Amino acid sequence: MKPPRFAYYSPRTLPELLEVLEETGDEAVVLAGGQSLLPMLNLRLATPSHVIDLGRVPGLDSIASPNGSVEVGAMVTHRRMETDPIVAAVAPLAQRAAGYVGYLAIRNRGTVGGSVAHADPAAEWPIVLLALDGNVGLASSRGWRNVAAEDFFESVYTTARRPDEVVTSLRFSSRFAHSWGFSEFQRRTGDFATVAVAVACVVESGEVAEARVAIAGVADRPLRCREAESALTAGSASAAIDAAEAARDCIDPVSDIHGSSSFRKRLVYAETLRAVRQALTVNEAGIGDG
Amino acid sequence: MAEISLIVNGEPAIAQVDPRTLLSDFLRDDLGLTGTHVGCEHGYCGACTVLVDGASARSCLMLAIQADARSVETVESLSANGAGLHPIQQAFKDCHGLQCGFCTPGLLMSVVELAATNPGCGRDEIREHLSGNVCRCTGYHHIVDAVERALNGAPGRADES
Amino acid sequence: MKADQAPRYFGARVSRRQDDRLLRGDGRYVADIKPAGVLAAKFMRSHQAHAAVTSIDIDAAGASEGVRAVFVGGDFADHEIRCVSSYAAFQESAQPILAVDRVRHVGEALIMVVAEDEYLAEDASELVVADLDPLPAAVNIDAALAVGFAPLHPGWRHNAFVRRQVKTYGFDDASSSAPHRVAIELHNGRHSGIPMENRACIAEHDRGTGQFRLHTTTQIPHLVRAGLSWALGVPESLIQVIAPDVGGGFGVKAQLYPEEVACCLAARQLGRPVKWVEDRREHFVAAHHSREHRHKVTGYFDNDGTILALQADIAVDMGAYSVFPWTATMDGGMAMGILPGPYRIREYSVASMSVCTNKTPYGAYRGVARPAACFSIERLMDQIARHLGVDRVEIRNRNLLTDGDYPWRSPSGLVYDSGSLIESLDAVVDLADLEGLLKCQADARAAGRLVGVGLAVFTEQTAHTTQEFKQRGVPIVFGYETAKVRLDASGTAVVSASIHDHGQGLETTLAQIAADRLGLDLEQVRVTYGDTEQVAYGAGTFASRSAVLAGGAVIRAADAVADTLREVAAHILEAAPEDMVVETGRVSVAGSPSQFIETSELCRLIYQRPERLPDGVEPRLEASRTYDAHPGTGAYTNAAHLASVEIDPLTGKTRVLSYAVVEDCGPMINPTIVEGQIFGGVAQGIGTALFEEFLYDEVGQPLSTTFADYLVPVMSDIPDFRVAHLQTPSPHTIGGLKGMGEGGAIAPGAVIASAVEDALSHLGAVTVDRLPLTPERVLGYIDAANSNGASA
Repeated sequence: MKPPRFAYYSPRTLPELLEVLEETGDEAVVLAGGQSLLPMLNLRLATPSHVIDLGRVPGLDSIASPNGSVEVGAMVTHRRMETDPIVAAVAPLAQRAAGYVGYLAIRNRGTVGGSVAHADPAAEWPIVLLALDGNVGLASSRGWRNVAAEDFFESVYTTARRPDEVVTSLRFSSRFAHSWGFSEFQRRTGDFATVAVAVACVVESGEVAEARVAIAGVADRPLRCREAESALTAGSASAAIDAAEAARDCIDPVSDIHGSSSFRKRLVYAETLRAVRQALTVNEAGIGDG
Repeated sequence: MAEISLIVNGEPAIAQVDPRTLLSDFLRDDLGLTGTHVGCEHGYCGACTVLVDGASARSCLMLAIQADARSVETVESLSANGAGLHPIQQAFKDCHGLQCGFCTPGLLMSVVELAATNPGCGRDEIREHLSGNVCRCTGYHHIVDAVERALNGAPGRADES
Repeated sequence: MKADQAPRYFGARVSRRQDDRLLRGDGRYVADIKPAGVLAAKFMRSHQAHAAVTSIDIDAAGASEGVRAVFVGGDFADHEIRCVSSYAAFQESAQPILAVDRVRHVGEALIMVVAEDEYLAEDASELVVADLDPLPAAVNIDAALAVGFAPLHPGWRHNAFVRRQVKTYGFDDASSSAPHRVAIELHNGRHSGIPMENRACIAEHDRGTGQFRLHTTTQIPHLVRAGLSWALGVPESLIQVIAPDVGGGFGVKAQLYPEEVACCLAARQLGRPVKWVEDRREHFVAAHHSREHRHKVTGYFDNDGTILALQADIAVDMGAYSVFPWTATMDGGMAMGILPGPYRIREYSVASMSVCTNKTPYGAYRGVARPAACFSIERLMDQIARHLGVDRVEIRNRNLLTDGDYPWRSPSGLVYDSGSLIESLDAVVDLADLEGLLKCQADARAAGRLVGVGLAVFTEQTAHTTQEFKQRGVPIVFGYETAKVRLDASGTAVVSASIHDHGQGLETTLAQIAADRLGLDLEQVRVTYGDTEQVAYGAGTFASRSAVLAGGAVIRAADAVADTLREVAAHILEAAPEDMVVETGRVSVAGSPSQFIETSELCRLIYQRPERLPDGVEPRLEASRTYDAHPGTGAYTNAAHLASVEIDPLTGKTRVLSYAVVEDCGPMINPTIVEGQIFGGVAQGIGTALFEEFLYDEVGQPLSTTFADYLVPVMSDIPDFRVAHLQTPSPHTIGGLKGMGEGGAIAPGAVIASAVEDALSHLGAVTVDRLPLTPERVLGYIDAANSNGASA
């Protein structure tokens, strides 16, 4: 289990990075924190001829809170998301989700940008992005663009990122800072989610004015479940159970070694119920720490 | 081959590496620091845990070249030749926190980080924090004793179990 | 065999001798060793469960950078691993070093690439093109035994290595007249020991002397040497096997593997050392598997729940080959023997089958068959209790053996020497606070939570020797262990033992024993093991035997050395040898403590002033002794385990809340080490109960080939343990010692299953009959309980 041979690039500026990306195109993979890429290299599931290391490119690790959002550089680690005060204040759902990523040693090195670019359908960041109405910032030598989370994730390990582009930032809306929930079924601490659910709501005068429910681990990409969202905004007294049932009924999960489709449906019910209850409780308590 | 220059256990190291060389292999084969063990090479077992710029990292999930200009600490840094054991090592010895010793170096480095970042944690928190370091021999009980003792000088004595 | 003074170290919680070096990172494991000129080996393995090898193209691999050789099956076709049981009708298998014309499991080595380093060897191995023509695969026991399924090995009649059957004379009468019967079928998932250190070996061959030296990750250096001698066709005198620090074994490393033979052959051919370090993905498919039993068990009992007869039908999925030195009969035979467990069962009928399938070969894992046997008998006891409406503790008390029963000849012919079964069960009920747990359970149920309590009792045959292994039909009878004790001129001792310490702490416990017998400080005793050139012949470390057998051998050897000390001291002090006593640091005249000589001075005189020795005494303080614990039927450790669990009713995820053990392994040399062994075993048993399983798809592809898919328990999965000890000595062993290394791993499957069943008992009756208890399976039991409860 040793990585295959590759050419290694360590650009020192963003323009240099974009130039290398343009030259290497589909032959290259981008190395961010490496916590998904290195296992794939060691297992030789990935055999790129070029590896481009973002580790020395400055300016990709800032956390800022421009109007109504939090913008996070692609190279920000899971650990920083877990501990950063701006994230805690503006996107507490993201803070909570960060703690579910792997182990501390993984969170110390793994990055948010690497995670969304990798697009593992069981990963946390994609559903946090979906739930927090987020988008992904991409750069190439042709320019910059933002892609809404819903358009970004296309399939297993496949995104809207073009070969010459690099993920530079993630942006999460802050309007859900008071009503959110995150629940994940892990077999063991640090395991990939079998199913994870992120819920973000806007509550106005005691009514759920907006709800977003995103689910990981059930399809080839993270899913938003609009039926569950409608159940939440419908305002019924049994909203949580309605939403959980709606989520369970509207998905057709994959089966694998960690659980059959029918088992995953039950997990979707359980974790949606828990995430929704948390979201509604967070709002009642009026605090953002869940 | 590329030249890297880094600090390992407080000493400068300069070496030529193939970019694909894993940090774990570099430490073990090039520097002879075989205290860092390799148990899975896909990031799950934690045996190869080292500190990079003070934060724990899987040395099997890092290229040596990524450690260029960084500081790396391995188990060999904990107690100098001829000196006594580091207090965390001593706690592991006192509490029988190791058996075959293979997972131990990586575990110790995780505990060094825990002691620096969350020294007040109790047994359940210790278990959560260290769940990325698999031990197959001890059943963990004596490890938790050792960590508890190392962090708080608290009970954690093997003879009280 | 009594020491002259009360022990200073026996029974003491001294810290371990090896810890400093292991904690500092100064341990020396095989992968850490790098001989000059060493080459790296990489095995390319079959990706088919069963296939004909039609063609192999190694040209590109051979031309790849840094490659020194590429070996195919034909290169090593004169060598094989064969392990033949003496049981009648045993069908032999020959495990090739590299597959020649047929592959029989995913992971079987096909090609060996040897290159300048591991990276280059792996690059080249990817260039090998092997054409494998798939054949129907025996993916499980039923498929292998299906009528018309072709035998997997040439000349075979069917796909069982062996089938055996035993019935007591009175079984038919007892079973047919019993007023009640309960039948269950139980499944144990395939899993294994998964030590944190993968396998590794380094072979060197000295062209001048013809000598092989193999550093390898083994628990059994001498047996590996014996096996290598057979496989290589080279006498043992030309083979040195060294097992340095080994990162956990648990049975997985108690075996001769084809890779060890291959590395020796390659090193001889290439004239350079050849090193192979297994990677984790290989470990999951090429290091042996274990534990996959299916038992159909029927208990016949009277109105009080007294068991009148027991019937069992055992099948074990042994994978593709019979492994050395165990043969493919071990688990099936062991399960037959121990299934009646700690109960007063007199009538027994059992059939056992060791089935050959297209899976990774099957070998030892801590507890060998006993976890499955304990699961079966303890699950049966719980079902009998439920059938009669009797409490689970009570039903056991009615059937457990008591003092008056020993020595107990079990219906399978085992001889239980001693025990404290009811006492251990009583004690664990107190230790775990069963009453408190049941109160918590009632509160939890009232709140809609699922909390359950489970328990199990077992007896564990340990330190069984010649008599037992003779009956098991193995080619090498593992009777005894050996120790050599040498005092040197400095007055310090070296104990060389035939066992191996890969975590068990024998480096310390054997030193404790020797220090006591020779009146030395612990620091004055060094224990060595693992190098066949340096240590005495013996079997190695497995089967909960090392402390008892090597411990006994150390006592014998140390006492022989002490006799020389007494003899020479008597001469110097002008006293009678029989009046001399070995005390701490000195040898003195009994009753006259001022007349003494310091041990260190005595040692110096013996080696360096031979003129002061009495006539006929050699200037040598050294003795080598073996110990075979007669009658060889084993010393029986027993234990009772009691745990509580909570189940998430929505997801089925089961969490162990508390776990208590009362164990009786006789007198303890070092209670801290004993507890460490218990805890480690229980955690592995919790893996058996909740997490670990090698899964395969319908064509025999393994699905659990990384740590993401094969789940070992992590720290947050394991609760704090409570432990207490009873100490009933064995009448058979020196010092009354009993083995205990495996015990912790035996009961947890039964205990957790009992607890899960109990957690659901208020919903409806359900029988928990399959391990591991994955969340999905537990949800299935919850559904069944609910549906049974609704229809009841």
